[in-house]
Amino acid sequence: MRYLAKRTVYMLVILALSSVAVFYAIRLSGGDATAARLPASATEADRETFREVLGLNDPIYQQYFTYMGRLLSGDLGNSLTNNALISKMLIEHGRNSLVLGAAAFILVFLVGVPLGMLASVRRNTFVDQGIMSLSVAGMAVPNFWLALLSIWLFASVLGWLPSAGCCEPRQLLLPAIVLAAEGTALTVRMTRSAMLENLDSDWVRTLRAGGLSEARVIGKHVFRNALIPIISLAGLRIGQIVGYALIVEVIFGWPGLGQVLVNAVLRRDYPVAQFFSLVLIVMVVLGNWLADLGYLAANPRLRKV
Amino acid sequence: MAAPILSVRDLTTVIHTEGIRFKVVRGVSFDLYPNEILGLVGESGCGKTMTALSVMGLIPAPAARVTGGKVMFRDRDLVRLSERQMREVRGDDISMIFQDPLTSLDPMFTIGHLLTEVIRRHRSISRAEAEALALQALTEVELPDPQIRMNQYPHQLSGGMRQRVMIGMALMLDPDILIADEPTTALDVTVQAQILDRLVGQQRRRDMSMLLITHDLGVVAAVADRVAVMYSGEIVEQATVEELFADPQHPYTQGLLQAVPQTRHQRGALHTIPGRVPPPQFIPPGCAFSPRCAQALVRCWEERPELVADGHRDLRCFNPQPLALV
Repeated sequence: MRYLAKRTVYMLVILALSSVAVFYAIRLSGGDATAARLPASATEADRETFREVLGLNDPIYQQYFTYMGRLLSGDLGNSLTNNALISKMLIEHGRNSLVLGAAAFILVFLVGVPLGMLASVRRNTFVDQGIMSLSVAGMAVPNFWLALLSIWLFASVLGWLPSAGCCEPRQLLLPAIVLAAEGTALTVRMTRSAMLENLDSDWVRTLRAGGLSEARVIGKHVFRNALIPIISLAGLRIGQIVGYALIVEVIFGWPGLGQVLVNAVLRRDYPVAQFFSLVLIVMVVLGNWLADLGYLAANPRLRKV
Repeated sequence: MAAPILSVRDLTTVIHTEGIRFKVVRGVSFDLYPNEILGLVGESGCGKTMTALSVMGLIPAPAARVTGGKVMFRDRDLVRLSERQMREVRGDDISMIFQDPLTSLDPMFTIGHLLTEVIRRHRSISRAEAEALALQALTEVELPDPQIRMNQYPHQLSGGMRQRVMIGMALMLDPDILIADEPTTALDVTVQAQILDRLVGQQRRRDMSMLLITHDLGVVAAVADRVAVMYSGEIVEQATVEELFADPQHPYTQGLLQAVPQTRHQRGALHTIPGRVPPPQFIPPGCAFSPRCAQALVRCWEERPELVADGHRDLRCFNPQPLALV
């Protein structure tokens, strides 16, 4: 319990610090917020009025506290570009991102864990070497390149899948696979090494000496032990997926939070950019916190009985 | 004497790793009779554990493999059994306890879970019945608060308690043979005696045979009926405990006995056997012990002695000399 409390406090501290960082980063990165909203013909006086109304001339720390105050009272603000309610954008685009992210996350474990297990029980055979080569490729190929390649192959050449769009299952497939690729590759390696490490344990011999079958020893006992590192890295996978979603959503035209964020940054749409940056940070930090929770739940040695 | 319950003949186990092949068990033969304790002694690396694992069919494949010999148990050669048939034997007819109780239990499951899983693998009984049997086994090895321990994880138990759990687990299905591989080595000296006591008590009560693997001659003298001394993957001398301790004939056995600290006798440096056990890749062509033997003849360097039985004892030596006991 103390462990969990500690991790929770860490999480809150990291959130507070990163909200400051995001706020400053966006404001200090140059560009003019008025360009987002005002027509090109607007005079400098108009722009100045606009800045004054939005409080953009206040010191940044003051803007920060004003903003956080509103945020915590539930007022997410409006887009500078089209005055849309940010809360509405969150629901709409958040849903899309959630679908894509969840699909990728499930793929990572549904594919990565069994492949890693297979590689470990077929250690040093060509099955193992094949899986490990694939996994090296999965880690080495940058996902934007993989995205372009897969669009070229499956959409242009073979014509099996649409190159972009939302939100049919067929349209989900390619971005989800691309988003999952690196995490899957890492999970394969992780699973394989965790399985191998546990296969060498003394207790494996005890179970065999008890007459249990290899399927039982490996599928139940070794796997259960190997699950601890796999679970604790699941949180990091969430962070990775959230980060890569920015690129993948843009390439595949998937209208999720990543796409919204990238557009907002390009247009200096401060309220949108900072809010969605924060959302992504919350996702990452929450993912890590969940991993801690999972680690605790998976490991009886850390549970207080 | 009754027929042996386990009869090992010319057992040979080979390890094949990184392109090198070498024998770790080199033609080991011994009999284990009903209701007896046979001590298998020798230094670390002499092949004691490999012999036991070969009997159990638990040598780490594919690197290691039994390449020859027989392990006769109830008219069946265990070496020739399929893995599936061997699984029926393991844990039920022949069970084994290992050296390090701290690492020999799966940390992710409760004691009760681990025990009942093995029981239900061999007996078609309900979970409740299996739990009752497990609880009874833990009670018999005098594990304190067995009911509570059933729901605890291995890390919540001390080393001595975990070894009791291992013993209870090995005995719960009433095996004919128990192979105990250094069962007390990893434990505190005070706990060692208790565990040994428990083990021998259970062995006598259950009419079970036991192969006790140890490097501790004191343990062998205290509990075993017969002793087989191993060196470099082969048995060099085998006799009853009384005979072996009263009149050791193989120079290696003599060296081992002299190396035991004697509190009543002389002080000063302990006796040691010069040199070290040759690694299994580099066993000398003649008698494996010849490089370390004070009595070695030219013949010993050239020719491998056979294990010769003279009715009382088996001995593998060309030039046995009586030990001038102090």
